Amino acid sequence: MTLSLFDQFLSPVVCWIPLVAIAIMLPWVLFPSPTTRWVNNRNLTSQNWFLGQSTSQIFLPINPGGHKWAILLSSLLIFLTTMNTAGLLPYTFTPTSQLSINMGFAGALWMGIVILGMRTQPTHSLGHLLPEGAPAMLTPVLVIIETISLFIRPIALGVRLTANLTAGHLLIQLTSTATLALLTIMPVTAILTGVLLFLLALLEAAVALIQAYVFILLLSLYLQENV
Amino acid sequence: MPQLIPTPWLALLIFSWTIFTAIVLPKVLKHSFPDNPTLPSKQNLSKNKWDWSWH
Repeated sequence: MTLSLFDQFLSPVVCWIPLVAIAIMLPWVLFPSPTTRWVNNRNLTSQNWFLGQSTSQIFLPINPGGHKWAILLSSLLIFLTTMNTAGLLPYTFTPTSQLSINMGFAGALWMGIVILGMRTQPTHSLGHLLPEGAPAMLTPVLVIIETISLFIRPIALGVRLTANLTAGHLLIQLTSTATLALLTIMPVTAILTGVLLFLLALLEAAVALIQAYVFILLLSLYLQENV
Repeated sequence: MPQLIPTPWLALLIFSWTIFTAIVLPKVLKHSFPDNPTLPSKQNLSKNKWDWSWH
């Protein structure tokens, strides 16, 4: 019975259409492409403003050479935010709860950043394996630890997003099942559980936005080290 | 855990990257951020006067 609670994360197929495909392709209808007009409509103007603000915030601490990554990271931010928030709607599938999708983005981008750093400035990139101000005696240990932490990064990036979204959706399913089951037996407890469900939904909305932002922020930090 | 089933792994990975590069990147690229308009200053007009010095 407990294992069946994870069934919501199985890639669903309805009438031979994998719902993952619809979940990934449909939300872009909400983001119209900007026209060549001088002034666009309110929807486009507000999206333009958010995009510009978030991109400038993320790329403030990065060297100008790293600003080529702006298009990649800002569009990934929009991708992840949209996928996360769209998955909060009932009966939708959250693509970013799948390890395959998150590891695909995390691993590929991390590897690109590390290879970029190693090719353009190898000494500077390898210098990050020994933090400044560390005692000389600890150098061998620190280098080993920092190397391990370097290779853990893509796994941590992907699994962080997956685990946060999976746990959130699981909690929502559990509390909603509990609320419905208790409604006839213990109504007051059911109301309390309903309040808990409401608060959880608010938390999940926040988590959806924050986790997408954290993903991009960490990638920008890794870029800052390597560019 | 369903996320660890290997069958749709590669398909999902490639599909998500394909949609990301085919749809999201072009949409974001089309956004432009023009400079803020500046008020014209009268001093600049007087400095840029052209005098036909060879006539």
